Amino acid sequence: MSESLVPVTVLTGFLGAGKTTLLNRILTENHGKRYAVVINEFGELGVDNDLVVDADEEVFEMNNGCICCTVRGDLIRIVGALMKRAKKFDGIIVETTGLANPAPVAQTFFVDEGVRAKTRLDAIVTVVDAKNLPARLADSAEAAAQIAFADVIVLNKLDLVSGGEADEVERRIRAINPAVRIIRSTRADVPVDEILHQNAFDLARILQFDPDFLEQDEHGHTEGLYSVSFAVEREVDMQKFQQWMGTLLQEKGADILRTKGILAVEGDPRRFAFQAVHMMADGDFIGPWPEGTPRHSRLVFIGRDLNRPQLRRGFEACQVAA
Amino acid sequence: MSDTGALLSTRGVMRDLGAHIVGACFDRRGLQCAFGLGDGSVHLAQGDDWQRSEAHDGAVLALCPDVFDTGFLSAGDDGVLQRIQSDGVAARVFSTGGKWIEQVTSFAEARGGVIACAVGKQAHLFDGANTKLKTLTHPSTVTGLAFDAKGKRLAASHYNGASLWYVSAKTDTPRVLEWKGSHTGIALHPAAEAVVTSMQENALHGWRLADGQHMRMTGYPAKSESLGFTRNGRWLASSGADSIVLWPFFGGGPMGKPPVEMAQIEGILCTRVACHPKDELVAAGFGDGTVLVAQIATRRVVIIAEAGGDPVSALCWSPDGGRLAFGTEGGRAVLVDLSAR
Repeated sequence: MSESLVPVTVLTGFLGAGKTTLLNRILTENHGKRYAVVINEFGELGVDNDLVVDADEEVFEMNNGCICCTVRGDLIRIVGALMKRAKKFDGIIVETTGLANPAPVAQTFFVDEGVRAKTRLDAIVTVVDAKNLPARLADSAEAAAQIAFADVIVLNKLDLVSGGEADEVERRIRAINPAVRIIRSTRADVPVDEILHQNAFDLARILQFDPDFLEQDEHGHTEGLYSVSFAVEREVDMQKFQQWMGTLLQEKGADILRTKGILAVEGDPRRFAFQAVHMMADGDFIGPWPEGTPRHSRLVFIGRDLNRPQLRRGFEACQVAA
Repeated sequence: MSDTGALLSTRGVMRDLGAHIVGACFDRRGLQCAFGLGDGSVHLAQGDDWQRSEAHDGAVLALCPDVFDTGFLSAGDDGVLQRIQSDGVAARVFSTGGKWIEQVTSFAEARGGVIACAVGKQAHLFDGANTKLKTLTHPSTVTGLAFDAKGKRLAASHYNGASLWYVSAKTDTPRVLEWKGSHTGIALHPAAEAVVTSMQENALHGWRLADGQHMRMTGYPAKSESLGFTRNGRWLASSGADSIVLWPFFGGGPMGKPPVEMAQIEGILCTRVACHPKDELVAAGFGDGTVLVAQIATRRVVIIAEAGGDPVSALCWSPDGGRLAFGTEGGRAVLVDLSAR
């Protein structure tokens, strides 16, 4: 089913990080594919086969009593209109302004039925300036949010930093978002197939990139945003989990940016994958457990003011009785 | 009239136009019907005579009758507003240089009429000779435009409400109708008693113009993308459920009342509605390709096209109400003559 949905890549990053260079690279590389690119102002983009759509980022709050549930109204309109075009696209790329929080873009794909029916969120790609990231993290909450939401980070302008500095920047990124895939580059010279068509929001791919990241337990609380992860060994009672997670996201969803998990559900041989962006959650069974891996349920939160012991107790209480 | 196959074959003309049909409308005299498509073409149909006009390099986003007796106006994602003459020739009215023109509507009168089109936050007004009359700026992107029945006022939907402008005012200050949220389309009561918008949250919102009273119309399982008043203004018909949803605008209005639901097709979404220009009849198109006409007083339903196609994406009546035109996402365009013979 998801094959017929047009993949949407969200491209974020601060002004000057190299976002436009990356976009130009995507558009000019001879990949034989056709993309629609939604940008905020017409720039000097080398567009040939592709379509560039000029849009104003228009974020509004849904009237569902959830203050963090903001969506991009312009995207809903644009995606709807693009889907009516006769010549179909291989993908849609949405560039956000430098200061944008990626949450409204991601939430648009959870909230709007029309968008969901035709497209799927493929990945959030954040371009980071290796030299200036520490300063940006210090002076802007959006920089940390862009890292927290990213599925792929292009760590750019490596020619401006030493090897040690690059490692330190990477460590700070991982402290916020341990599961993110980091690609090092100098002039955004990243192969297009490392960025597009990632299926990062596909439930089957959740927690797949780096099975070991749960073992890492390092915190750079200085950014305000960080991640905590847990594993439990006994099977999970789905009803308890849904009740706990529902209440948790309702109460703390503003502080929890992203949640991902794989669950071993009582009485079902398949893996259950779960993900959420703030309060918007999505989950489904995704096939059997890989041969030889223990049926341990895992959960990762990225956010601020996360109460680790409380979250751990909550998750542990979702297990079936020993 | 249960033999619907016969109805379409004896009274209908069908063409496969090959691309998503975005909109359909008749010209003001009701001679030709135009279909605007996702491949940028506009097709003009009169009986068996159909012609294709290459109107846009991209997709048609909106279509309406011209201010003259014949011809049409089409807006595209190439940033061009085109006048399509009855001979199929396209002539440029206005170009933005690329920014999408997402809405177009017009009002005809003896002195020439007014054209309104929406580009981002702005609504541009032109006369029939393509002279720009004014530009009206809104707080956010304009998602719907509608003239009142006399052409004096223009209503525009946008975030957090709607704006109501006097077309010929010397200083442009709108009456702002506020309601938090994303408003995605607009309809004006024929006697200017109310303005109604469709919303992102599967609901309609209305304002009674006499006193600003809010009207909340909720309960839709899906977004209501198509709405319109009956000619006499007694009912507002809307899509977004598995039936035609009608809200009463008499006896105090729709507040606190349940809507009338008619012509239900269980589990299939009604995607388009069109109120008859004279009588209390509503045409409706559904997600399975069904097209029907329902009479409000009797709830009697006549099926025009059976299920089995793709979703109906465009639907309209001729000005005299004798013909019905519809189009689908898959590019099927149909013109049916329903007049008494």
